[in-house]
This record gives sequence, structure tokens and C-alpha cells, in this order.
Amino acid sequence: MSLTLTCPICGERNGYEFRYGGEDKGPRPDRAGLTPEQWCDYVHMNSCVAGVQKEWWFHRDGCGAWFTTHRDTRTGLETDGPDSAAQK
Amino acid sequence: MNMLQRQSPVRFSARPVKTEVRDGWTVVLEYAAQGDGLHLIDLSHRAKWDLQDGDLSRFDIAGTPIPSAPNTCTLKNGTAVCRRNRTQALIWHLAGDPPELPEDPALTDVTEASLLAALTGPNIYDVMEKICSLDLKDPAKTTPRLIQGPALHVPCLIMDLGRMGDRDVVLIACSRGYGRDMTEGLLHAGAEWNMAPAGETAFTRLFDI
Repeated sequence: MSLTLTCPICGERNGYEFRYGGEDKGPRPDRAGLTPEQWCDYVHMNSCVAGVQKEWWFHRDGCGAWFTTHRDTRTGLETDGPDSAAQK
Repeated sequence: MNMLQRQSPVRFSARPVKTEVRDGWTVVLEYAAQGDGLHLIDLSHRAKWDLQDGDLSRFDIAGTPIPSAPNTCTLKNGTAVCRRNRTQALIWHLAGDPPELPEDPALTDVTEASLLAALTGPNIYDVMEKICSLDLKDPAKTTPRLIQGPALHVPCLIMDLGRMGDRDVVLIACSRGYGRDMTEGLLHAGAEWNMAPAGETAFTRLFDI
């Protein structure tokens, strides 16, 4: 399966240039009142969506930017462009 | 007094005819039979700085601010300043004497950690097309510009300087450990256009034209 991803800085590139950074699980939970179980769930548990999921990618062989994008896990294809506001 | 001996990651089989020792580097100024065609020039000894900071707008390198848009470059007085992403920029001192590295923890001298080579002359874009899938011929883009991506499967920083004097110029940088294989690969790719190693003078003279 071939994969192309759109880097918000470099544009559309071969998927082999990127490193997968996992599902986007939203912001880190607040420390106040956080139980070990909640933290474990946040760190280790994934939704494993069969469909479109928002996920993190790192342009390892290129500009070094972290960004989120939307990809259909059933086809491996990007469905929306990258979320440039989420660049790290 | 002990002198630091600095070694370029690149060795060419061509015979140097003019060399100079500069800050511990043995710099080849001219090779025998380098001709005036397609050249591959080792510039690894040229000062290269890496800049990482959350606010790049506060920096002014040799009178040049960091460009605001990623992958854009400015080339002024022999110093190229390019922005890589939101927090990182590169500074390459390509001609003339480099200034002292400012006392700022955001700046790191990466000169000895990386290969820097220049391709100059005709057909350089044809050579680059053979070693990478990056689009260096996009007519919508202006030079100088930075292209970040793999060449010969090695993560590279490629700076397209466009036309300088009578020659097209592309710079390519990668980690030092890939230096020998990268230059061998470039020479192999450029063999059909008789690419030859050339000394530093063949590059620095372009800044005088």
C-alpha cells in the first residue's frame, strides 16, 4: 500500500518520509484529580477507529514539523489536509 | 601550540593542485583538470549554524532577520539564512570570513557534523532528478529557497540558489556520516554529464560576479 501525506510546510510527500505519532487524543489531562487509571488510559489506550481518524505525524526526513492530519484507516488515504494550526 | 586538525567527510580521487590550511581545515582551492563544466564542490569546512528557538523573530544574523515563512531563504553578503519550520532555522556562511558564533544557547555550530556540497554548472537539475523525487524545477517557486527531504534515501537540506553569474547552483547538506556515499552517489549520477570535483574557488568566485 502506498501512502502520501501532506506536510503543512513541504507539501505532499511520500509516506516513508514521515514517522507516525499515534492517534490524536486531545489535550493532556489536567493533573488535578488525575487517577493512575485515567493517566494509563490516556497514554496507552487507543480508539483504533475503522474509518477517518485524526492522527499525529512527524516529517522525519524533511522539515522536522509535527502536525495532525485526517486519514481513513481502511484505505490509508488522507481525507483532509493537515491541521496547520497544530504544528509543533 | 596545538592546532586542531579538522577533516572533511569527503575525499575525492582527483589530484589537488592548490590547497590552503584554514582554521584547521585543509581546503582544496583547485583540482587538476576540473574544467569548467558540471562541478561538485566540497564546502564542508564552511561555517554552518543551527538555530532553534521558540521566537525566531528576535534573531538578526549578520544584519539579516530570519525569514517568516518556512522553506524561504535570504542570501546576503555570502551568508544564507533559511527558515526550516516554526522553531528552527539554518545559517550557512558560504563566502568570506564567518563571524564569531554569538553567545546564545539557541545557536549551535554544526560545521563539523555535516556535509555541505555544491553542484554548479549546467545539468545540475538533471543530476538532482536522478537522486531524489523532490521538485526542484517548480516554475512557481523563486530562488533562493530551501527544500527539505531525502536524496539518495538520506535526509537532506537542499538549497536552490538558482542562477549565480553564469552557473546554476544547488547546495546539498546531510549528516557527516553519509558524506562519502553521498558524494560518490552524486558523482555517479553526474557521470553522464562529466561531473568533476572542483575546488572551493570555483564556488566562491560566483559571489564576485
